[in-house]
Amino acid sequence: MDDTIRKLEEIARLIRIDVVTMIYKAGDGHPGAALSVTDLIAALYFHVMNIDPADPNKKDRDRFILSKGHGCPALYAALARKGYFPHADLVRLRSLECHLQGHPDMNKTPGVDFTSGSLGNGVAVGLGMVLAGRITGYDYFTDVVTCDGEIQEGIVWEAAMSAKKYKAGRLIVFVDNNGIQSGGPVDHVSGLNPILPKWEAFGWHCQEIDGHDFGQILSAVENAKANAEQPSLILAHTIKGQGVPFMIGDNSWHKRVPTVEEFRDAMRVLGGPCS
Amino acid sequence: MMRLGNTRLAFIETLTEIVEQGLRAVLVCADSVLVVKGKAFAEKHPERFFDVGIAEQNAVACAAGMAACGLVPFVATYAGFITMRACEQVRTFVAYPGLNVKLVGANGGISAGEREGVTHQFFEDLGIMRTIPGITVVVPADDSQVRHATRAIYKTPGPAYMRIGSGRDPVVDCDDVPFELGKVRVLRDDGRDIALFANGFVINRALQAAEVLRQEGIRPVVVDVHTLKPLDGQAIVRILRETRAAVTVEDHNIIGGLGSAIAELSVEECPVAIAKVGLRDTYPRSGEPDALLDYYHVGVTDIVKAAKMVMQRRDQGLRA
Repeated sequence: MDDTIRKLEEIARLIRIDVVTMIYKAGDGHPGAALSVTDLIAALYFHVMNIDPADPNKKDRDRFILSKGHGCPALYAALARKGYFPHADLVRLRSLECHLQGHPDMNKTPGVDFTSGSLGNGVAVGLGMVLAGRITGYDYFTDVVTCDGEIQEGIVWEAAMSAKKYKAGRLIVFVDNNGIQSGGPVDHVSGLNPILPKWEAFGWHCQEIDGHDFGQILSAVENAKANAEQPSLILAHTIKGQGVPFMIGDNSWHKRVPTVEEFRDAMRVLGGPCS
Repeated sequence: MMRLGNTRLAFIETLTEIVEQGLRAVLVCADSVLVVKGKAFAEKHPERFFDVGIAEQNAVACAAGMAACGLVPFVATYAGFITMRACEQVRTFVAYPGLNVKLVGANGGISAGEREGVTHQFFEDLGIMRTIPGITVVVPADDSQVRHATRAIYKTPGPAYMRIGSGRDPVVDCDDVPFELGKVRVLRDDGRDIALFANGFVINRALQAAEVLRQEGIRPVVVDVHTLKPLDGQAIVRILRETRAAVTVEDHNIIGGLGSAIAELSVEECPVAIAKVGLRDTYPRSGEPDALLDYYHVGVTDIVKAAKMVMQRRDQGLRA
Protein backbone atom coordinates (compact mmCIF):
# COMPACT_ATOMS: atom_id res chain seq x y z
CA MET A 1 0.00 0.00 0.00
CA ASP A 2 2.82 2.40 0.80
CA ASP A 3 4.25 1.75 -2.66
CA THR A 4 0.90 2.49 -4.25
CA ILE A 5 0.62 5.73 -2.35
CA ARG A 6 4.16 6.75 -3.23
CA LYS A 7 3.43 5.97 -6.88
CA LEU A 8 0.23 8.04 -6.82
CA GLU A 9 1.97 10.95 -5.11
CA GLU A 10 4.56 10.98 -7.85
CA ILE A 11 1.90 10.84 -10.58
CA ALA A 12 0.03 13.69 -8.92
CA ARG A 13 3.23 15.74 -8.86
CA LEU A 14 3.68 15.17 -12.58
CA ILE A 15 0.05 16.06 -13.27
CA ARG A 16 0.49 19.31 -11.30
CA ILE A 17 3.55 20.14 -13.40
CA ASP A 18 1.47 19.49 -16.53
CA VAL A 19 -1.42 21.61 -15.24
CA VAL A 20 0.68 24.68 -14.53
CA THR A 21 2.74 24.23 -17.70
CA MET A 22 -0.25 23.84 -19.99
CA ILE A 23 -2.07 26.86 -18.57
CA TYR A 24 1.12 28.90 -18.75
CA LYS A 25 1.86 27.91 -22.34
CA ALA A 26 -1.74 27.99 -23.54
CA GLY A 27 -2.23 31.35 -21.85
CA ASP A 28 -5.64 30.37 -20.44
CA GLY A 29 -7.34 28.10 -17.92
CA HIS A 30 -8.38 27.53 -14.30
CA PRO A 31 -5.29 26.46 -12.30
CA GLY A 32 -6.75 26.64 -8.78
CA ALA A 33 -9.57 24.20 -9.41
CA ALA A 34 -7.40 21.81 -11.42
CA LEU A 35 -4.83 21.62 -8.61
CA SER A 36 -7.42 20.97 -5.91
CA VAL A 37 -8.83 18.02 -7.83
CA THR A 38 -5.53 16.56 -9.05
CA ASP A 39 -5.12 13.95 -6.30
CA LEU A 40 -8.66 12.59 -6.75
CA ILE A 41 -8.11 12.26 -10.49
CA ALA A 42 -4.69 10.65 -10.01
CA ALA A 43 -6.15 8.08 -7.62
CA LEU A 44 -9.07 7.24 -9.91
CA TYR A 45 -7.13 7.00 -13.18
CA PHE A 46 -3.98 5.37 -11.85
CA HIS A 47 -5.40 2.97 -9.29
CA VAL A 48 -9.18 2.74 -8.99
CA MET A 49 -10.82 2.65 -12.39
CA ASN A 50 -11.11 -0.33 -14.72
CA ILE A 51 -10.05 1.31 -17.98
CA ASP A 52 -7.93 0.52 -21.00
CA PRO A 53 -6.36 3.42 -22.92
CA ALA A 54 -5.86 1.09 -25.87
CA ASP A 55 -9.63 0.58 -26.00
CA PRO A 56 -11.09 3.87 -24.75
CA ASN A 57 -14.68 2.86 -25.58
CA LYS A 58 -14.55 -0.55 -23.92
CA LYS A 59 -18.15 -1.22 -22.94
CA ASP A 60 -17.53 -2.53 -19.44
CA ARG A 61 -15.09 0.21 -18.47
CA ASP A 62 -15.64 2.34 -15.42
CA ARG A 63 -16.91 5.81 -16.34
CA PHE A 64 -15.58 9.10 -15.12
CA ILE A 65 -17.29 12.48 -15.31
CA LEU A 66 -15.43 15.63 -14.35
CA SER A 67 -18.65 17.47 -13.63
CA LYS A 68 -16.65 20.51 -12.54
CA GLY A 69 -15.36 20.69 -16.09
CA HIS A 70 -13.23 23.78 -15.54
CA GLY A 71 -10.76 21.58 -13.65
CA CYS A 72 -10.03 19.76 -16.94
CA PRO A 73 -6.30 20.53 -17.20
CA ALA A 74 -5.83 17.91 -14.48
CA LEU A 75 -8.02 15.42 -16.37
CA TYR A 76 -6.22 16.08 -19.65
CA ALA A 77 -2.85 15.59 -17.99
CA ALA A 78 -4.01 12.28 -16.46
CA LEU A 79 -5.40 11.06 -19.80
CA ALA A 80 -2.19 12.00 -21.62
CA ARG A 81 -0.08 10.25 -19.01
CA LYS A 82 -2.31 7.16 -19.32
CA GLY A 83 -1.62 7.20 -23.05
CA TYR A 84 -5.00 8.24 -24.46
CA PHE A 85 -3.28 10.88 -26.62
CA PRO A 86 0.21 12.36 -27.00
CA HIS A 87 1.53 14.28 -24.02
CA ALA A 88 2.70 16.98 -26.42
CA ASP A 89 -0.96 17.89 -27.06
CA LEU A 90 -1.32 19.34 -23.57
CA VAL A 91 0.34 22.68 -24.21
CA ARG A 92 -1.99 23.27 -27.17
CA LEU A 93 -4.97 23.38 -24.78
CA ARG A 94 -7.76 25.68 -26.00
CA SER A 95 -6.13 26.35 -29.37
CA LEU A 96 -8.19 26.09 -32.54
CA GLU A 97 -6.39 23.06 -33.96
CA CYS A 98 -6.28 21.07 -30.72
CA HIS A 99 -8.81 18.51 -29.49
CA LEU A 100 -8.39 19.79 -25.91
CA GLN A 101 -11.36 22.11 -25.50
CA GLY A 102 -11.72 24.76 -22.81
CA HIS A 103 -14.05 22.28 -21.10
CA PRO A 104 -14.15 18.48 -21.66
CA ASP A 105 -15.69 17.24 -24.90
CA MET A 106 -16.45 13.51 -25.19
CA ASN A 107 -16.38 13.60 -28.98
CA LYS A 108 -13.11 15.43 -29.38
CA THR A 109 -10.81 14.08 -26.69
CA PRO A 110 -10.08 10.34 -26.41
CA GLY A 111 -10.79 9.04 -22.92
CA VAL A 112 -13.32 11.71 -21.97
CA ASP A 113 -16.47 9.77 -21.06
CA PHE A 114 -18.80 12.75 -20.97
CA THR A 115 -18.94 16.38 -21.98
CA SER A 116 -19.00 18.86 -19.11
CA GLY A 117 -18.40 22.47 -18.19
CA SER A 118 -21.84 23.82 -17.54
CA LEU A 119 -22.14 23.15 -13.83
CA GLY A 120 -24.45 20.75 -12.04
CA ASN A 121 -25.06 18.03 -14.57
CA GLY A 122 -22.60 15.25 -13.80
CA VAL A 123 -24.54 13.56 -11.01
CA ALA A 124 -27.64 13.18 -13.20
CA VAL A 125 -25.59 12.01 -16.18
CA GLY A 126 -23.67 9.58 -13.97
CA LEU A 127 -26.93 8.17 -12.65
CA GLY A 128 -28.07 7.61 -16.24
CA MET A 129 -24.86 5.71 -16.93
CA VAL A 130 -25.36 3.50 -13.90
CA LEU A 131 -28.98 2.78 -14.82
CA ALA A 132 -27.95 1.98 -18.40
CA GLY A 133 -25.51 -0.61 -17.10
CA ARG A 134 -28.40 -2.50 -15.53
CA ILE A 135 -29.94 -2.99 -18.98
CA THR A 136 -26.79 -3.49 -21.02
CA GLY A 137 -25.50 -5.94 -18.43
CA TYR A 138 -22.16 -4.24 -17.68
CA ASP A 139 -21.48 -3.73 -13.99
CA TYR A 140 -19.13 -0.76 -14.21
CA PHE A 141 -18.87 2.00 -11.62
CA THR A 142 -19.42 5.64 -12.53
CA ASP A 143 -17.25 8.14 -10.68
CA VAL A 144 -18.30 11.78 -10.72
CA VAL A 145 -16.22 14.67 -9.42
CA THR A 146 -18.19 17.75 -8.53
CA CYS A 147 -17.35 20.59 -6.14
CA ASP A 148 -18.83 22.75 -3.43
CA GLY A 149 -19.57 25.55 -5.88
CA GLU A 150 -21.22 23.25 -8.38
CA ILE A 151 -23.59 21.56 -5.96
CA GLN A 152 -25.42 24.85 -5.55
CA GLU A 153 -27.16 23.92 -8.80
CA GLY A 154 -30.66 22.50 -8.29
CA ILE A 155 -30.26 19.62 -10.73
CA VAL A 156 -27.66 18.09 -8.39
CA TRP A 157 -30.33 17.57 -5.76
CA GLU A 158 -32.86 16.38 -8.33
CA ALA A 159 -30.37 13.68 -9.26
CA ALA A 160 -29.55 12.99 -5.61
CA MET A 161 -33.19 12.07 -5.00
CA SER A 162 -33.38 9.84 -8.07
CA ALA A 163 -30.12 8.06 -7.24
CA LYS A 164 -31.48 7.21 -3.82
CA LYS A 165 -34.73 5.92 -5.30
CA TYR A 166 -32.83 3.71 -7.74
CA LYS A 167 -30.37 2.49 -5.07
CA ALA A 168 -27.54 3.46 -7.40
CA GLY A 169 -24.75 1.79 -5.48
CA ARG A 170 -22.46 1.98 -8.50
CA LEU A 171 -22.53 5.77 -8.49
CA ILE A 172 -19.72 7.40 -6.54
CA VAL A 173 -19.71 11.18 -6.29
CA PHE A 174 -16.76 13.17 -4.94
CA VAL A 175 -17.28 16.74 -3.79
CA ASP A 176 -14.03 18.65 -4.25
CA ASN A 177 -14.56 20.83 -1.21
CA ASN A 178 -11.94 23.55 -1.65
CA GLY A 179 -14.21 26.14 -0.05
CA ILE A 180 -13.76 28.84 -2.67
CA GLN A 181 -15.71 29.53 -5.84
CA SER A 182 -15.50 32.12 -8.59
CA GLY A 183 -16.94 34.94 -6.52
CA GLY A 184 -15.11 34.13 -3.29
CA PRO A 185 -15.54 31.86 -0.25
CA VAL A 186 -18.51 29.51 -0.52
CA ASP A 187 -20.02 30.93 2.66
CA HIS A 188 -20.04 34.43 1.16
CA VAL A 189 -21.74 33.33 -2.03
CA SER A 190 -24.18 30.68 -0.84
CA GLY A 191 -25.89 29.15 2.15
CA LEU A 192 -24.67 25.72 1.03
CA ASN A 193 -22.79 24.63 4.16
CA PRO A 194 -22.92 22.22 5.90
CA ILE A 195 -22.60 19.82 2.96
CA LEU A 196 -22.47 16.33 4.45
CA PRO A 197 -25.77 16.41 6.40
CA LYS A 198 -27.57 17.37 3.21
CA TRP A 199 -26.37 14.28 1.35
CA GLU A 200 -27.08 12.14 4.42
CA ALA A 201 -30.60 13.51 4.47
CA PHE A 202 -30.94 12.63 0.80
CA GLY A 203 -30.19 9.02 1.66
CA TRP A 204 -26.65 8.69 0.38
CA HIS A 205 -23.79 6.73 1.92
CA CYS A 206 -21.51 9.55 3.08
CA GLN A 207 -17.84 9.79 3.93
CA GLU A 208 -15.56 12.70 4.69
CA ILE A 209 -11.88 12.64 3.80
CA ASP A 210 -8.76 14.69 3.21
CA GLY A 211 -8.81 14.92 -0.58
CA HIS A 212 -5.04 15.16 -0.74
CA ASP A 213 -4.43 11.99 1.29
CA PHE A 214 -4.23 8.98 -1.03
CA GLY A 215 -4.69 6.50 1.79
CA GLN A 216 -7.98 8.14 2.69
CA ILE A 217 -9.10 8.46 -0.93
CA LEU A 218 -8.49 4.78 -1.66
CA SER A 219 -10.11 3.45 1.47
CA ALA A 220 -13.14 5.72 0.94
CA VAL A 221 -13.55 4.27 -2.56
CA GLU A 222 -13.36 0.75 -1.13
CA ASN A 223 -16.05 1.59 1.41
CA ALA A 224 -18.21 3.17 -1.30
CA LYS A 225 -17.92 0.11 -3.53
CA ALA A 226 -18.83 -2.17 -0.64
CA ASN A 227 -22.14 -0.38 -0.22
CA ALA A 228 -24.26 -1.80 -3.04
CA GLU A 229 -27.60 -0.38 -1.98
CA GLN A 230 -26.83 3.33 -1.76
CA PRO A 231 -25.16 5.90 -3.98
CA SER A 232 -21.97 7.18 -2.37
CA LEU A 233 -20.87 10.68 -1.56
CA ILE A 234 -17.27 11.35 -0.63
CA LEU A 235 -16.74 14.84 0.71
CA ALA A 236 -13.09 15.53 -0.03
CA HIS A 237 -11.59 18.48 1.79
CA THR A 238 -9.13 20.05 -0.60
CA ILE A 239 -7.08 23.18 -1.05
CA LYS A 240 -7.52 25.35 -4.10
CA GLY A 241 -4.10 25.66 -5.74
CA GLN A 242 -2.70 22.68 -3.79
CA GLY A 243 0.96 22.08 -4.60
CA VAL A 244 1.76 25.64 -5.63
CA PRO A 245 2.07 27.66 -2.40
CA PHE A 246 1.63 31.12 -3.90
CA MET A 247 -1.70 30.11 -5.43
CA ILE A 248 -3.14 28.95 -2.11
CA GLY A 249 -5.45 31.45 -0.44
CA ASP A 250 -5.39 33.79 -3.45
CA ASN A 251 -8.59 33.30 -5.43
CA SER A 252 -7.32 35.26 -8.41
CA TRP A 253 -5.90 31.83 -9.33
CA HIS A 254 -9.45 30.59 -9.95
CA LYS A 255 -8.75 31.71 -13.49
CA ARG A 256 -5.36 33.27 -14.09
CA VAL A 257 -2.25 32.62 -16.17
CA PRO A 258 1.16 32.54 -14.42
CA THR A 259 3.78 35.09 -15.48
CA VAL A 260 7.16 33.76 -16.47
CA GLU A 261 8.45 34.37 -12.93
CA GLU A 262 5.42 32.69 -11.37
CA PHE A 263 5.76 29.76 -13.74
CA ARG A 264 9.41 29.33 -12.72
CA ASP A 265 8.48 29.56 -9.02
CA ALA A 266 5.83 26.89 -9.50
CA MET A 267 8.21 24.58 -11.36
CA ARG A 268 10.84 25.03 -8.65
CA VAL A 269 8.36 23.88 -6.00
CA LEU A 270 6.96 21.04 -8.11
CA GLY A 271 10.33 19.96 -9.48
CA GLY A 272 9.34 20.50 -13.08
CA PRO A 273 11.20 21.82 -16.12
CA CYS A 274 11.13 25.60 -16.61
CA SER A 275 11.41 25.50 -20.38
CA MET B 1 -67.92 16.65 -36.64
CA MET B 2 -64.14 16.37 -36.47
CA ARG B 3 -62.82 13.04 -35.24
CA LEU B 4 -60.33 13.07 -32.40
CA GLY B 5 -57.34 10.78 -31.94
CA ASN B 6 -54.85 10.41 -29.13
CA THR B 7 -51.27 11.32 -30.02
CA ARG B 8 -50.04 10.52 -26.52
CA LEU B 9 -51.40 6.99 -26.73
CA ALA B 10 -50.08 6.62 -30.27
CA PHE B 11 -46.61 7.49 -29.01
CA ILE B 12 -46.61 5.13 -26.06
CA GLU B 13 -48.11 2.22 -28.02
CA THR B 14 -45.42 2.61 -30.66
CA LEU B 15 -42.68 2.82 -28.02
CA THR B 16 -44.10 -0.36 -26.47
CA GLU B 17 -43.81 -2.12 -29.84
CA ILE B 18 -40.22 -0.94 -30.18
CA VAL B 19 -39.32 -2.22 -26.71
CA GLU B 20 -41.08 -5.53 -27.35
CA GLN B 21 -38.98 -6.01 -30.45
CA GLY B 22 -36.08 -6.34 -28.02
CA LEU B 23 -34.48 -3.02 -28.84
CA ARG B 24 -32.71 -0.80 -26.37
CA ALA B 25 -35.36 1.88 -25.96
CA VAL B 26 -36.39 3.09 -22.50
CA LEU B 27 -38.95 5.58 -21.27
CA VAL B 28 -37.80 8.39 -18.96
CA CYS B 29 -40.52 10.39 -17.23
CA ALA B 30 -40.55 13.32 -14.84
CA ASP B 31 -43.70 12.30 -12.97
CA SER B 32 -45.27 12.42 -16.41
CA VAL B 33 -46.18 8.76 -16.76
CA LEU B 34 -49.90 9.47 -16.69
CA VAL B 35 -49.47 12.44 -19.03
CA VAL B 36 -48.00 10.19 -21.70
CA LYS B 37 -50.37 7.28 -20.96
CA GLY B 38 -47.38 5.24 -19.85
CA LYS B 39 -48.92 3.30 -16.94
CA ALA B 40 -49.42 0.07 -18.87
CA PHE B 41 -45.94 0.39 -20.33
CA ALA B 42 -44.43 0.89 -16.87
CA GLU B 43 -46.28 -2.13 -15.47
CA LYS B 44 -45.42 -4.37 -18.39
CA HIS B 45 -41.79 -3.26 -18.75
CA PRO B 46 -40.70 -1.95 -15.35
CA GLU B 47 -37.01 -2.42 -16.21
CA ARG B 48 -37.44 -0.10 -19.19
CA PHE B 49 -39.22 2.64 -17.29
CA PHE B 50 -37.53 5.35 -15.26
CA ASP B 51 -39.38 8.04 -13.35
CA VAL B 52 -36.94 10.59 -11.95
CA GLY B 53 -39.59 12.71 -10.26
CA ILE B 54 -40.68 16.25 -11.06
CA ALA B 55 -37.22 17.12 -12.29
CA GLU B 56 -36.96 17.68 -16.02
CA GLN B 57 -33.34 18.82 -16.08
CA ASN B 58 -32.48 15.62 -14.26
CA ALA B 59 -34.58 13.59 -16.70
CA VAL B 60 -32.78 14.97 -19.75
CA ALA B 61 -29.28 14.78 -18.24
CA CYS B 62 -29.96 11.27 -16.95
CA ALA B 63 -31.15 10.25 -20.42
CA ALA B 64 -27.96 11.70 -21.87
CA GLY B 65 -25.95 9.45 -19.58
CA MET B 66 -28.04 6.44 -20.64
CA ALA B 67 -27.52 7.26 -24.31
CA ALA B 68 -23.77 7.60 -23.75
CA CYS B 69 -23.87 3.99 -22.51
CA GLY B 70 -25.84 2.50 -25.36
CA LEU B 71 -29.54 2.98 -24.59
CA VAL B 72 -32.08 4.91 -26.64
CA PRO B 73 -34.02 6.88 -24.04
CA PHE B 74 -37.31 8.60 -24.85
CA VAL B 75 -37.86 11.49 -22.43
CA ALA B 76 -41.55 12.28 -22.40
CA THR B 77 -43.29 15.06 -20.55
CA TYR B 78 -44.84 18.44 -21.27
CA ALA B 79 -43.24 20.20 -24.22
CA GLY B 80 -42.31 23.36 -22.38
CA PHE B 81 -40.70 21.57 -19.47
CA ILE B 82 -38.37 19.80 -21.87
CA THR B 83 -37.66 22.70 -24.18
CA MET B 84 -37.55 25.51 -21.64
CA ARG B 85 -36.83 24.20 -18.15
CA ALA B 86 -34.35 21.62 -19.43
CA CYS B 87 -33.25 23.62 -22.45
CA GLU B 88 -29.59 23.78 -21.49
CA GLN B 89 -29.43 20.05 -20.80
CA VAL B 90 -30.95 19.46 -24.23
CA ARG B 91 -28.50 21.78 -25.92
CA THR B 92 -25.24 21.04 -24.13
CA PHE B 93 -25.59 17.42 -23.06
CA VAL B 94 -27.84 15.90 -25.72
CA ALA B 95 -27.49 17.92 -28.91
CA TYR B 96 -23.86 19.02 -28.61
CA PRO B 97 -22.53 15.49 -28.02
CA GLY B 98 -25.04 14.21 -30.62
CA LEU B 99 -26.47 11.64 -28.23
CA ASN B 100 -29.27 9.32 -29.16
CA VAL B 101 -31.92 10.86 -26.91
CA LYS B 102 -35.49 11.28 -28.13
CA LEU B 103 -37.48 14.11 -26.58
CA VAL B 104 -41.26 13.90 -26.72
CA GLY B 105 -43.17 17.04 -25.80
CA ALA B 106 -46.87 16.92 -24.92
CA ASN B 107 -49.28 19.84 -25.16
CA GLY B 108 -47.50 21.31 -28.15
CA GLY B 109 -49.29 24.46 -29.25
CA ILE B 110 -52.04 26.57 -27.70
CA SER B 111 -54.84 24.24 -28.78
CA ALA B 112 -53.35 21.26 -26.94
CA GLY B 113 -53.10 23.10 -23.64
CA GLU B 114 -56.06 21.27 -22.08
CA ARG B 115 -57.57 24.60 -21.02
CA GLU B 116 -54.83 24.86 -18.39
CA GLY B 117 -53.70 28.29 -19.45
CA VAL B 118 -50.30 29.63 -20.44
CA THR B 119 -48.27 27.46 -18.03
CA HIS B 120 -49.37 24.38 -20.01
CA GLN B 121 -49.60 25.86 -23.50
CA PHE B 122 -46.33 25.59 -25.36
CA PHE B 123 -45.96 27.68 -28.47
CA GLU B 124 -42.22 28.39 -28.38
CA ASP B 125 -40.95 24.78 -28.25
CA LEU B 126 -40.27 24.43 -31.95
CA GLY B 127 -38.49 27.75 -32.23
CA ILE B 128 -36.26 26.88 -29.28
CA MET B 129 -35.44 23.40 -30.56
CA ARG B 130 -34.88 24.64 -34.11
CA THR B 131 -32.12 27.05 -33.10
CA ILE B 132 -30.11 24.27 -31.45
CA PRO B 133 -27.74 22.60 -33.93
CA GLY B 134 -28.14 18.89 -34.50
CA ILE B 135 -31.68 18.14 -33.37
CA THR B 136 -34.29 16.62 -35.67
CA VAL B 137 -37.58 18.44 -35.02
CA VAL B 138 -40.82 16.66 -35.92
CA VAL B 139 -44.41 17.89 -35.72
CA PRO B 140 -46.68 14.99 -36.70
CA ALA B 141 -50.13 15.74 -38.09
CA ASP B 142 -52.17 13.38 -35.93
CA ASP B 143 -52.13 10.16 -33.93
CA SER B 144 -51.49 7.95 -36.89
CA GLN B 145 -48.62 10.12 -38.06
CA VAL B 146 -47.16 10.04 -34.54
CA ARG B 147 -46.77 6.28 -34.95
CA HIS B 148 -44.74 6.77 -38.11
CA ALA B 149 -42.74 9.61 -36.59
CA THR B 150 -41.92 7.66 -33.41
CA ARG B 151 -40.55 4.75 -35.42
CA ALA B 152 -38.67 7.12 -37.71
CA ILE B 153 -36.91 9.03 -34.92
CA TYR B 154 -36.06 5.74 -33.23
CA LYS B 155 -34.45 4.47 -36.42
CA THR B 156 -32.55 7.70 -37.09
CA PRO B 157 -29.50 7.96 -34.81
CA GLY B 158 -29.08 11.22 -32.94
CA PRO B 159 -31.13 13.72 -30.96
CA ALA B 160 -34.76 14.32 -31.90
CA TYR B 161 -37.67 16.33 -30.60
CA MET B 162 -41.22 15.27 -31.40
CA ARG B 163 -44.35 17.17 -30.53
CA ILE B 164 -47.46 15.40 -29.31
CA GLY B 165 -50.71 16.89 -28.08
CA SER B 166 -53.32 16.75 -25.37
CA GLY B 167 -54.68 13.32 -26.18
CA ARG B 168 -57.74 14.85 -27.86
CA ASP B 169 -56.12 15.66 -31.15
CA PRO B 170 -57.84 16.21 -34.51
CA VAL B 171 -57.54 13.31 -36.94
CA VAL B 172 -56.34 14.54 -40.31
CA ASP B 173 -56.99 11.33 -42.14
CA CYS B 174 -54.02 11.62 -44.44
CA ASP B 175 -52.35 8.23 -44.20
CA ASP B 176 -52.58 7.64 -47.93
CA VAL B 177 -49.61 10.02 -48.25
CA PRO B 178 -46.55 8.20 -46.92
CA PHE B 179 -44.48 9.59 -44.03
CA GLU B 180 -40.76 9.94 -44.55
CA LEU B 181 -38.65 11.82 -42.03
CA GLY B 182 -37.25 14.98 -43.60
CA LYS B 183 -39.65 14.95 -46.58
CA VAL B 184 -42.76 17.09 -46.97
CA ARG B 185 -46.11 15.49 -47.72
CA VAL B 186 -48.42 17.06 -50.31
CA LEU B 187 -51.87 16.49 -48.84
CA ARG B 188 -53.96 18.28 -51.44
CA ASP B 189 -52.93 19.47 -54.84
CA ASP B 190 -55.36 21.59 -56.82
CA GLY B 191 -52.73 23.65 -58.57
CA ARG B 192 -50.12 26.28 -58.00
CA ASP B 193 -52.08 29.48 -57.30
CA ILE B 194 -51.04 29.46 -53.66
CA ALA B 195 -49.11 27.16 -51.32
CA LEU B 196 -50.40 26.46 -47.83
CA PHE B 197 -47.59 25.06 -45.65
CA ALA B 198 -48.89 23.63 -42.38
CA ASN B 199 -48.02 21.13 -39.68
CA GLY B 200 -49.39 19.63 -36.51
CA PHE B 201 -52.88 19.96 -35.18
CA VAL B 202 -53.94 22.81 -37.47
CA ILE B 203 -53.55 20.90 -40.72
CA ASN B 204 -57.30 20.36 -40.93
CA ARG B 205 -57.76 24.10 -40.86
CA ALA B 206 -55.39 24.49 -43.78
CA LEU B 207 -57.26 21.76 -45.66
CA GLN B 208 -60.61 23.44 -44.96
CA ALA B 209 -59.22 26.78 -46.11
CA ALA B 210 -58.01 25.07 -49.28
CA GLU B 211 -61.54 23.85 -49.93
CA VAL B 212 -62.93 27.37 -49.49
CA LEU B 213 -60.29 28.77 -51.84
CA ARG B 214 -61.01 26.06 -54.42
CA GLN B 215 -64.68 26.91 -54.35
CA GLU B 216 -63.74 30.49 -55.11
CA GLY B 217 -61.69 29.39 -58.10
CA ILE B 218 -58.27 29.51 -56.47
CA ARG B 219 -56.12 26.40 -56.83
CA PRO B 220 -54.08 25.71 -53.69
CA VAL B 221 -51.47 23.11 -52.82
CA VAL B 222 -51.45 22.00 -49.17
CA VAL B 223 -48.12 20.78 -47.83
CA ASP B 224 -47.50 19.04 -44.50
CA VAL B 225 -44.08 20.13 -43.27
CA HIS B 226 -43.92 17.59 -40.44
CA THR B 227 -40.12 17.68 -40.25
CA LEU B 228 -39.24 21.22 -39.33
CA LYS B 229 -35.58 20.32 -39.14
CA PRO B 230 -33.90 19.25 -41.30
CA LEU B 231 -36.25 21.13 -43.59
CA ASP B 232 -37.05 19.60 -46.97
CA GLY B 233 -35.63 22.68 -48.68
CA GLN B 234 -35.54 21.22 -52.15
CA ALA B 235 -39.23 20.32 -52.28
CA ILE B 236 -40.32 23.53 -50.60
CA VAL B 237 -38.33 25.76 -52.93
CA ARG B 238 -39.70 23.89 -55.93
CA ILE B 239 -43.23 24.68 -54.75
CA LEU B 240 -42.37 28.30 -53.93
CA ARG B 241 -40.97 28.76 -57.44
CA GLU B 242 -44.28 27.61 -58.86
CA THR B 243 -46.66 29.48 -56.57
CA ARG B 244 -44.59 32.62 -55.82
CA ALA B 245 -46.88 33.03 -52.81
CA ALA B 246 -47.32 31.03 -49.61
CA VAL B 247 -49.20 30.97 -46.32
CA THR B 248 -47.78 29.15 -43.31
CA VAL B 249 -50.22 27.72 -40.77
CA GLU B 250 -49.01 26.58 -37.37
CA ASP B 251 -50.05 26.19 -33.75
CA HIS B 252 -46.98 28.09 -32.55
CA ASN B 253 -45.75 31.60 -32.18
CA ILE B 254 -45.22 33.10 -35.64
CA ILE B 255 -41.64 33.70 -34.50
CA GLY B 256 -39.34 30.69 -34.68
CA GLY B 257 -41.58 27.92 -35.99
CA LEU B 258 -42.82 26.84 -39.41
CA GLY B 259 -43.45 30.38 -40.65
CA SER B 260 -39.94 31.43 -39.77
CA ALA B 261 -38.43 28.29 -41.28
CA ILE B 262 -40.20 28.78 -44.62
CA ALA B 263 -39.51 32.53 -44.64
CA GLU B 264 -35.80 31.99 -43.91
CA LEU B 265 -35.55 29.45 -46.71
CA SER B 266 -37.46 31.72 -49.08
CA VAL B 267 -35.29 34.76 -48.34
CA GLU B 268 -32.16 32.80 -49.15
CA GLU B 269 -33.29 30.72 -52.07
CA CYS B 270 -36.53 31.96 -53.58
CA PRO B 271 -37.93 35.26 -52.29
CA VAL B 272 -41.74 35.22 -52.59
CA ALA B 273 -44.69 36.78 -50.80
CA ILE B 274 -45.40 34.94 -47.53
CA ALA B 275 -48.00 35.41 -44.82
CA LYS B 276 -47.73 33.69 -41.46
CA VAL B 277 -50.81 32.39 -39.66
CA GLY B 278 -50.15 31.46 -36.05
CA LEU B 279 -50.08 32.92 -32.58
CA ARG B 280 -49.05 36.53 -33.11
CA ASP B 281 -46.34 36.86 -30.46
CA THR B 282 -48.69 37.12 -27.52
CA TYR B 283 -49.74 35.00 -24.53
CA PRO B 284 -52.91 33.00 -25.03
CA ARG B 285 -55.51 32.12 -22.39
CA SER B 286 -57.55 29.13 -21.32
CA GLY B 287 -60.24 27.94 -23.65
CA GLU B 288 -61.64 25.20 -25.87
CA PRO B 289 -59.05 24.17 -28.47
CA ASP B 290 -61.01 25.20 -31.55
CA ALA B 291 -62.35 28.38 -29.99
CA LEU B 292 -58.82 29.32 -28.94
CA LEU B 293 -57.40 28.90 -32.41
CA ASP B 294 -60.19 31.01 -33.86
CA TYR B 295 -59.77 33.65 -31.17
CA TYR B 296 -56.05 33.95 -31.86
CA HIS B 297 -56.56 34.22 -35.62
CA VAL B 298 -55.60 30.72 -36.64
CA GLY B 299 -59.07 30.17 -38.09
CA VAL B 300 -60.07 28.93 -41.53
CA THR B 301 -61.19 32.45 -42.46
CA ASP B 302 -57.83 33.83 -41.32
CA ILE B 303 -56.02 31.39 -43.59
CA VAL B 304 -58.29 32.20 -46.54
CA LYS B 305 -57.82 35.93 -45.94
CA ALA B 306 -54.04 35.53 -45.69
CA ALA B 307 -53.99 33.51 -48.91
CA LYS B 308 -55.87 36.18 -50.83
CA MET B 309 -53.74 38.96 -49.37
CA VAL B 310 -50.50 37.22 -50.21
CA MET B 311 -51.65 36.42 -53.74
CA GLN B 312 -52.54 40.07 -54.19
CA ARG B 313 -49.10 41.13 -52.96
CA ARG B 314 -47.52 38.68 -55.37
CA ASP B 315 -49.61 39.92 -58.30
CA GLN B 316 -48.91 43.56 -57.46
CA GLY B 317 -45.23 42.73 -57.23
CA LEU B 318 -45.34 41.04 -60.62
CA ARG B 319 -46.95 44.13 -62.16
CA ALA B 320 -44.56 46.58 -60.53
